Amino acid sequence: MTELLAVHDLTYQLGNRKLLERISFAAEAGEVLAIVGPNGAGKSTLLRMLSGEEHPTEGSVSIGGQKLASIPQRQLASRRAVMLQNSRVVFPFTAFEVVRLGTEGIGVGLSRRDRDQLALSALANVDAEEFAERNFLTLSGGEQQRVSFARSLAQLAAGRTHISPQILLLDEPIASLDVRHQLALLEHARTLARSGNVLVIVVLHDLTLAHTFADRILVLRKGKLATIATRNEPLSRDLIEEIFEVSIAAEHCHGTPWRPLDSAHKAGALGENQMPRAVLSI
Amino acid sequence: MKIVSLSALVTLLGVSLASLPAIGDPGKANESGSLHASQPQRIIAAGGVVTEIVYALRRADVLVGVDSTSTYPASALKEKANVGYVRALSSEGLLSLNPTSVIAIESAGPPDILKAVEDAGVQVSHLPDVATPAGISAKIKEVAKLVGEPVKGAALAAETDKQFAALSALRSKIEKPRRALFILSFMNGRAMVGGRDTSADGILTLAGLQNAASTLNGWKPISDEALFDAAPDIIIAMGHGPQDVTVNSILAVPAFAATPAAKSKSIFIFDGGYLLGFGPRTSSAARDLLLAAYPKLAGQDKRSDLQ
Amino acid sequence: MHQIPQVAYRRSIVLMALCVLLVLIAVAAISLGSISIAPKRVFEVLFGMEPSGQIDFARDALVITQIRLPRLILGAAVGAALAASGAVMQGLFRNPLADPGLIGVSSGAGFAAAVAIVLGGRFLPDAATKLPFAFLPMAAFVGALMSTLILYVVASRGGRTSMAIMLLAGIAFAALAGAGTGWLAYISDDRQLRDLTFWSMGSLGGATWSKVAVVVPMVLPTLIAVPFLARGLNAMALGEAEAFHLGISVDRLKTGAILLVSIAVGAAVACSGLIGFVGIIVPHLLRLSVGANYRFLLPASALLGASLLVGADICARTIVAPSELPIGIITATFGAPFFIWLLLRRGPEFAV
Repeated sequence: MTELLAVHDLTYQLGNRKLLERISFAAEAGEVLAIVGPNGAGKSTLLRMLSGEEHPTEGSVSIGGQKLASIPQRQLASRRAVMLQNSRVVFPFTAFEVVRLGTEGIGVGLSRRDRDQLALSALANVDAEEFAERNFLTLSGGEQQRVSFARSLAQLAAGRTHISPQILLLDEPIASLDVRHQLALLEHARTLARSGNVLVIVVLHDLTLAHTFADRILVLRKGKLATIATRNEPLSRDLIEEIFEVSIAAEHCHGTPWRPLDSAHKAGALGENQMPRAVLSI
Repeated sequence: MKIVSLSALVTLLGVSLASLPAIGDPGKANESGSLHASQPQRIIAAGGVVTEIVYALRRADVLVGVDSTSTYPASALKEKANVGYVRALSSEGLLSLNPTSVIAIESAGPPDILKAVEDAGVQVSHLPDVATPAGISAKIKEVAKLVGEPVKGAALAAETDKQFAALSALRSKIEKPRRALFILSFMNGRAMVGGRDTSADGILTLAGLQNAASTLNGWKPISDEALFDAAPDIIIAMGHGPQDVTVNSILAVPAFAATPAAKSKSIFIFDGGYLLGFGPRTSSAARDLLLAAYPKLAGQDKRSDLQ
Repeated sequence: MHQIPQVAYRRSIVLMALCVLLVLIAVAAISLGSISIAPKRVFEVLFGMEPSGQIDFARDALVITQIRLPRLILGAAVGAALAASGAVMQGLFRNPLADPGLIGVSSGAGFAAAVAIVLGGRFLPDAATKLPFAFLPMAAFVGALMSTLILYVVASRGGRTSMAIMLLAGIAFAALAGAGTGWLAYISDDRQLRDLTFWSMGSLGGATWSKVAVVVPMVLPTLIAVPFLARGLNAMALGEAEAFHLGISVDRLKTGAILLVSIAVGAAVACSGLIGFVGIIVPHLLRLSVGANYRFLLPASALLGASLLVGADICARTIVAPSELPIGIITATFGAPFFIWLLLRRGPEFAV
């Protein structure tokens, strides 16, 4: 059986700079895949390759055995949804309309009423019903992010009537969210994956959250795939220190495998030759 | 002082030709030889010169509307409906005056509008606009025919021709042509002057003057240095009202103060419509200009004999 | 089940109201003018009924069928084209300030019109004297399309069109066209200058059935294509990448929209001159009342734009009758203060 997503020898060059170099991996529906890496490692670029926005200079991305570039756009829109970092909505659409737009032209055999209902359920899923009728532009950053997530959910729900399994691509989806909604969003994404019909790929900065929610972690470094960590083989301390250029004071504790990095990070003032210190629970 | 405001003189000299409007009383008008004695004419004049000629023929009674360039006589726009700018007429606007005919100067338009009016059964007469003495008498004769006054028209045209002949005789007495600069407008010390191919150039020629700005083509702002080169002996500026250009405002600009014209105080303010209209008053306008520029010829003027 | 918002209901009411408004304004446009014609006679003329009186019937019939009716249709077509195109441009550029001018239509048409007015007589004496007002619109139309094409080529690379580049190039192009127009104004005589001024203020004067026959077929495709643009423009409002993710062929949308707008607005500008403000104010007005959804915004803009321009034209031809005002003066004089008033009374939820 062919994999849902297969990336083969992907290279992306812009001018003389190779933003991504010879990346290969495959993933199946039911999985949550996190992409981590320092700034400029090529995480968002990789996501753009996976969404079909940009085409690789060399190598290929295939979905369901079909080359991404050859998939008709409408079919692709039913197959995968994307949530970008920042919403750039213009014009006074309501939150409901923004989510409803996620369903338009997607899927087959849906009536207007069906699409309305899909949009409303998606809003309910992200706890955003109360501001459904508010102007999207007047919402807070976190609220906007939840609505954007709802839009991707609605798109997948509509697309499911057309094609399955599906792919959900999330680019730093929790940057503006409070802790409760961070966990809720990632939990929702994981539940979606666990249903067995969706592959979730999420770009994250928080290694702890990545380890908590992802089945596998793709670590990018300077455009190359440094390693793929799994639950059984988590990222080693040395590798994290090398890739992120931090020194880690690791402490072991039971329960959650990682503790958030930022407390130690913020506490220590950065000296000239001193590496930032982070505390990781291993 | 040669710096004179000539408006009083202008009115005086203009009186014989561009007479005061003969208002109202269509009955009397009909007696005097209208072609449409049974049905009163309702004419729209599209073009300032058309209005001027109709008024000069003392047939203002036939006019129901004039265009916005009909600034002479000043009463025209007060007592007749204003049909707007001569190049931007409105078909329904024209028709709303129930005209029997429209006399349209060459530049009147838009053509679509005039055609629509013609389609509505209104006679539209197109009047060639030639800025020469012959063109002026042709215009007078044509307009006179259209308002049903061919005899008066012929007389007025003949009178005009005679005056141009007198003007030409006067012009031949000029020993040394002087250089004149024609200023259309004066803003912030910058003057818009008449170069070649302008009505200003035409009137200067008629007045026996050399256009000092003949290196320019059309109406152009003149630079200070070009002004120095132009070295006009005379400056003629167009004025319309009290807020307009004055002799002092011209002299206040150093480049102008340095011209021969300023030194000999030969700066004249004229009414613009009078000088540039190319209608019945043009011969007197040219004559006024000539006499202002060559005061010595004033004694040899034969005009009084002609009258 | 969840409750479905009732906005759709409100929108259909607004659309209906706009239709009624257009009909009312059309009736007013047919009935009003510097010639007063009794409503009864208007009715008789329009429906070919037996005239009840003979006095001036032929003239009135002519005024209604040959002057007011084509002018009404031309005004409605131009207004609908300008307003709907404004809405399309704002969606395409994702910028509430966008108007058809951004794709070079106005600057190109303006420059070409200046060429026609100032140079037409020199190089094509026949064309300029015999058909100056057919030559001018043709030149303006070609100028509008050419400048759009130039901007499109500049902004496109490798099959992708960058709206940001197009906007910047449009600004540069407008400056260049402005300079070109300035050069022409410099060498023009004062009559040509005056023509140029009048043209740039717009007018529906001189509307004839033949002009209607030329303009309407150019405007209609845009109005018909509107429902097909709506989904793409809605998606564009989320972002260009987002539109792509939702299955929109973004570059095809851009090409199609630019083509339709340049033809419709080019034709509108060519026959009526530059009529400002309709393209910006109408979509905004509607966004404030029916929201931003293009499915409603586009037809509503077309309807309101048509009503607005026909209404403005009624003012233009009656205020100073028997003369008439350039219509651009009317749209800006009433439009701009109204718009500012709208902005002043905005609610706390207002955001564009």
